Amino acid sequence: MTAAPAGDHVPTPRAGLAERQAELVAALVAGGPPPPGFAPGPLAATRAALLRKRAGDVARHWPLLAAGLGAGWSTTFAGWAARRPTAGSLRDGWDLARALHAERALPPAAAEELAVREARLRYDGLRAPRPRRLPAVGRAGGAVAVQIAGRVRLLRPAPRVPTLAGEGVPDAAGSALWISD
Amino acid sequence: MTDPSGVGIGWRPEIAGFVAELPGLRFVEVVAEGVPASGPLPPGLTQLRERAVTVVPHGVRLSLGGAEPVDPTRVAHLAAVAQRLDAPLVSEHIAFVRAGGLEAGHLLPLPRSREAVDAVCANVARAQAELPVPIALEPIAALVDWPDDELDEADFLTEILDRTGALLLLDVANVHANARNRGADPLALLDRLPLERVAYAHVAGGAERGGFYHDTHTDPVPPAVLELVGALCARQRPPALLLERDGHYPPAAELRTELDALAAAAGFPAVT
Repeated sequence: MTAAPAGDHVPTPRAGLAERQAELVAALVAGGPPPPGFAPGPLAATRAALLRKRAGDVARHWPLLAAGLGAGWSTTFAGWAARRPTAGSLRDGWDLARALHAERALPPAAAEELAVREARLRYDGLRAPRPRRLPAVGRAGGAVAVQIAGRVRLLRPAPRVPTLAGEGVPDAAGSALWISD
Repeated sequence: MTDPSGVGIGWRPEIAGFVAELPGLRFVEVVAEGVPASGPLPPGLTQLRERAVTVVPHGVRLSLGGAEPVDPTRVAHLAAVAQRLDAPLVSEHIAFVRAGGLEAGHLLPLPRSREAVDAVCANVARAQAELPVPIALEPIAALVDWPDDELDEADFLTEILDRTGALLLLDVANVHANARNRGADPLALLDRLPLERVAYAHVAGGAERGGFYHDTHTDPVPPAVLELVGALCARQRPPALLLERDGHYPPAAELRTELDALAAAAGFPAVT
């Protein structure tokens, strides 16, 4: 599998199963180098299949994020996720939504979904999100959601056309939706 | 509870209504990690239990093939779910799903080596020590092969089953997928597996993509897989066959047609 060391070097024993399994997983989900001896075609096909499955799982947790990106969902997700191991579908979608928000590339419906989640749960980007105990406001891309006693209300939808912040954004508080998250 | 029999379907929340309406259904499988160990059961499952439908917990994240010892809390969860569903057996995969602190998010193949056989047998033994019921082990579909396999698939699986005393959950679609992707003969594998150890069989759909057959569970069951069901039943009909569908759910009529086709291929009564 690997070339034997030359000269006086003591031969390195073949890595154990644990190490080799870790190499394979890292190559598939974390952008690690291909493990020695594996055929590249099947490895690439496996990597792509894992990303497709993961994109489907995240879309189930973040339907408006996936729907908002439409035909670009698979590519956007795969581009973001290819070198990032999963932290679970909820956190994967959350991290991607925040990244797109930072790039001002979050579609309006996805911004509302994110604002609702931010109001409902506290997520530090490192550990599993936890329910907020106190009233909270979530904002993303012009959308504003409030949470009181565990119920979340979308106070203001995200603007459907590009506008400057605070300019011409309708205040929809009077017709706000209750979103059951 | 009675052992799996006839045609069953993988219970998923998205199709709970459809499954509840199947008049002849005697057997479902449920993803074990999706069932809470305590607290209320998903309502559809409770109804099935009241109808005395057999519910088999199917684990997907134990990582029995991992080089590290299986996580005792995951085994305890599977045991608790088996207990509360009054299941006659549980099932899991001959695969690993995490290593080196990373989750693969899917079932990955083991090298077919003595070292891997030892690892999986040790983990199955650890699980068996805690489980209240027998376990059936399912060989997976894989696109990648390890470069240094020492055993062929039949010897690898037979050795694991012999050493653990476990039952076999044979996935007919996986047999098709592996044979298709390796250019091997699926019938030759069927001829060498201990078919008398099959507790039940899986059947699922898939699709050709990029030169590989992918066992997607989100596409229709292709004719080649149905034919292989027939070939399996001609050798030794398993006590039960279970249709797995995990997304892109078709209209109810299409799903019923697939269940009927499965029943016809195996000579089981229709459950629809």
